Amino acid sequence: MARGLRRRDPALIDYLIEQYRYRLFRYVLMLTGRRHEAEDLFQETWIRVLEKGHQYKQRWKFETWLFSIARHLAIDYRRRRQPESLDALLQPVDSGRALEVEDTASASAFEQAFQGEEAACVATALAHLPAAYREVLTLRFHEDLELEEIARVVDSPLSTVKSRLYRGLAMLREWLKDMDV
Amino acid sequence: MREEGHEWALQLIDKMQVEGLTAAERVELEAHLESCAHCQKLAHQTEQALRAFRAAAPRFDSSLVLRTQMQARVRAHEIAENAARLRALWISCALSWVLGVVSAPLMWRGFEWLGQRLALSRVEWITGFALAWIAPAVVAAAIIVWRQAERAVGSWQ
Repeated sequence: MARGLRRRDPALIDYLIEQYRYRLFRYVLMLTGRRHEAEDLFQETWIRVLEKGHQYKQRWKFETWLFSIARHLAIDYRRRRQPESLDALLQPVDSGRALEVEDTASASAFEQAFQGEEAACVATALAHLPAAYREVLTLRFHEDLELEEIARVVDSPLSTVKSRLYRGLAMLREWLKDMDV
Repeated sequence: MREEGHEWALQLIDKMQVEGLTAAERVELEAHLESCAHCQKLAHQTEQALRAFRAAAPRFDSSLVLRTQMQARVRAHEIAENAARLRALWISCALSWVLGVVSAPLMWRGFEWLGQRLALSRVEWITGFALAWIAPAVVAAAIIVWRQAERAVGSWQ
């Protein structure tokens, strides 16, 4: 794969887009909480994969590298549109403001984005979780990444990842308990 | 189990999901859950919450894949074109440098002759020679710097 990425092999890129389409989209959606933003980031991430393919090292899991690229782009994306929230973006847990959905009261952004029986309940819960918690929860429980891999993606110490996971899980349980899922 | 056992059991319930438990912790938690309906309920709620979270599936617009694949191909084509142009530029730079080195003695004599004909001082015709000799490299370097700056601005936008 590393050789193909270095050569910018179009067939390989097509295959990877197809293969990781759902996982990448879910991750960026969890990160941003906005569908149109998630779609833009999805496309930008693959263009960046194409451009920076030579930087991929075989010893890394591809998805770890992919999510890490998407995350950096999400931060840049928000920074370009809301320069005033840069500090909040860099300290998402403490501020609780970064990368949050526009309308947390209605949770409409997530409701529109999700499907399934419990979509509305989960959407409401997700809309009330800070993005930093949603991010680690999706990496752990959707992607089944190891804690060290999550730490690499989010570029934070292992202790931070664990604390976000514990707090996120507690919040998720609390929200879904109230909704009687 | 201690009095603060419920708090401790909740920590283990979460740890089981986040990091996993040791065999001893698992045995202790199971023993507590068997005798504690409150913690049993919490464990159940945790599992239910995670099940719902895992089951939540974003709607995916399948045309997004096609659009992205198309964009990637266009970008790959642009990158290949740019690389070919840059390669041609480097080759012409190298050729120009080789020609410069090979032709330096002839140019030196030419400038010396011109300096004598125009009654220039030695410093003047040597300066002229130096400028003429490095001019192609300076132009090529300027083009490369300009192109790289243009690319940096393009990727930022």
